[in-house]
Amino acid sequence: MALARPIPTRNERVLKDEDFIVSKTDLKGLISYGNRTFIDISGYEESELLGAPHAILRHPDMPRTVFKLLWDQIQSGREINAYVKNLAKDGAFYWVFANVTPSFDARGRIVGYHSVRRKPSPGALGTISDLYRTMAETERKHGGGQEGMQASRAILDQLCQGKGASYDELVLGL
Amino acid sequence: MTNLSLGSRIHLLAGGAFVLYLAFAALGFRAAGPNGWMIVLLVLSAVVFMVLLYTLHRIQAALARITSQMQQAAEGHLDGRITGIKKGAATADLSWALNNLMDQVEAYFRETNAAFEHSARGDTYRKAMTSGLHGDFRASLERVNISVDAMAQTQRLQMKEQLVGRISELNSVNLVKNLKAIQDFLVNQNQEMKVVANLSRETAQEADASSAGIQAIVADLNRVVDLITSTHGQISRIHEKSAEIHQIVQVITEVADRTNLLALNAAIEAAHAGEAGKGFAVVAEEVRTLSENTKDAAASIAASIGSFGQATTRMLDDAGRMKEIADSSRSAITEFAGQFQRFSESARTSLAQVSKALDVGFASLVKVDHFVFKQNGYRIIQTGPESPEARAVQATHHQCRLGQWYYEGGQGKELFGQLSCYARLEEPHARVHGAVHEAMALLGDRWESDPALQERVFDAFRKTERASDEVMEALDCMVEERHRG
Repeated sequence: MALARPIPTRNERVLKDEDFIVSKTDLKGLISYGNRTFIDISGYEESELLGAPHAILRHPDMPRTVFKLLWDQIQSGREINAYVKNLAKDGAFYWVFANVTPSFDARGRIVGYHSVRRKPSPGALGTISDLYRTMAETERKHGGGQEGMQASRAILDQLCQGKGASYDELVLGL
Repeated sequence: MTNLSLGSRIHLLAGGAFVLYLAFAALGFRAAGPNGWMIVLLVLSAVVFMVLLYTLHRIQAALARITSQMQQAAEGHLDGRITGIKKGAATADLSWALNNLMDQVEAYFRETNAAFEHSARGDTYRKAMTSGLHGDFRASLERVNISVDAMAQTQRLQMKEQLVGRISELNSVNLVKNLKAIQDFLVNQNQEMKVVANLSRETAQEADASSAGIQAIVADLNRVVDLITSTHGQISRIHEKSAEIHQIVQVITEVADRTNLLALNAAIEAAHAGEAGKGFAVVAEEVRTLSENTKDAAASIAASIGSFGQATTRMLDDAGRMKEIADSSRSAITEFAGQFQRFSESARTSLAQVSKALDVGFASLVKVDHFVFKQNGYRIIQTGPESPEARAVQATHHQCRLGQWYYEGGQGKELFGQLSCYARLEEPHARVHGAVHEAMALLGDRWESDPALQERVFDAFRKTERASDEVMEALDCMVEERHRG
């Protein structure tokens, strides 16, 4: 049962300090678990979420480059931290600070991914939403192809270079 | 029955109750006969029993999943969760509570791992994120972050110490090498200074000997000049006497002339006397001949005295010139003697300076030997108590080069033994060796992990340095005292 993509609205859902969203996916990004907070905030039923691609929560304002970076990093076995604007079932959006880590089996092979989302630091959201807007616009200008991704990535890299920090360092320091 | 599981027991009890109910219903039928209401009640109660059994089955299944989940977790597999939880199910809250617990536990471990992994790589920016974790999980993560900070600090210190250690190792290796080069240089310089000192000593001795020779020459020359002067005087007196002789000859010539005139007069008178005067005439002739002879002899004496006078005049001239030459020679020789005296004095002065330089040079060599000894002591920290450096510092204060120089049979004892500063060297020198030996013994122990032991090693080296300063002062004092003049 494919879920229909919600139409985004201007409604924002703000996470509480102690909110702790947990979800798990398989290697393809299909949801295998979501905790109650995840269910409550996303507005989906557990049964709707299980087996659905995690990308159903993607907000159209998000630059694709961020997800490319996320997948590149976790597939190489490293964790990633990222600010993400998510889309709820009712079209509302909510900002999270996501930490995604690969899960390994006893032989050290990646068997799935584990994601924890927390309330983002409010001070960082101004910078991040400006950055994401510029990146997303650049991607759209290039017609959403490889070229646009590269140009968008260049913007992110430039910001890191300007601060003299790696992406991880930058994101954790905001 | 006690061996059955809880689920099976519930099923058995429910089944038993249903059978008892059916028996009760059958008894009712027998007593009162079939009745419509009773059939309806029977059917309803059968349905209720079925629902009850089904519910019990669902609960049992959920409990089985929860149990297996918890067993997995107990075995360290934190990844599993209970999914497909029905809303309002009797076990829904229990399942979510278990999931929440697992979420907390798993996130706790992932955060801990992330923080430690980053810290191990030297990244200090990734701390364990505590937000969203509750109670003890959060408190523990906060402590993890404190540990990670402490680890990072320790790591920085270790890295700093590693570099400091490597550089000081490099420095100390090169320091010993450089000191040994200076040592070689000083040994050579010492040899060469000895040659120079010997040359200076010989020069000074020869200058003294030559100076005495020159004094003898000057004295001889003075005597020659005196003799020439006295010869000159005597020749003058001879010259004067010849003038007196000339006057006497003049008188003799006059007497001879008068005698001749008298003889002539006598001959004339004899001629007057005739025959009687013939004999007298012979006498007068003889007298005249005598006076002629006398006059001739006087003339020849006058001639001799004249040439004698010329000779003495020349001798006087020659003697005068000889005196002049001897006088100028004497002043030249006197001046030369003065110069030679000064040369001899400067030869003595340079001998004194060269021998001081020799002592300073040797004292420097002794100092460098001492530095090498001390540096080898420091090197043991890096090279360990079995190293060549450790063997090098095992020497006692009698065996090391300074000791050999200082004690019986050494040059130090010979040259400086009488001085008060000489005695000042022994005690601090012994202390330097004692302190280095103490440090060496401590370095044989497990000083790397024992701060108290490290403190004692440091103290031993500090004692070494203090004693070493005193050794240096005593050496300077010895050289100064010996050459104070």
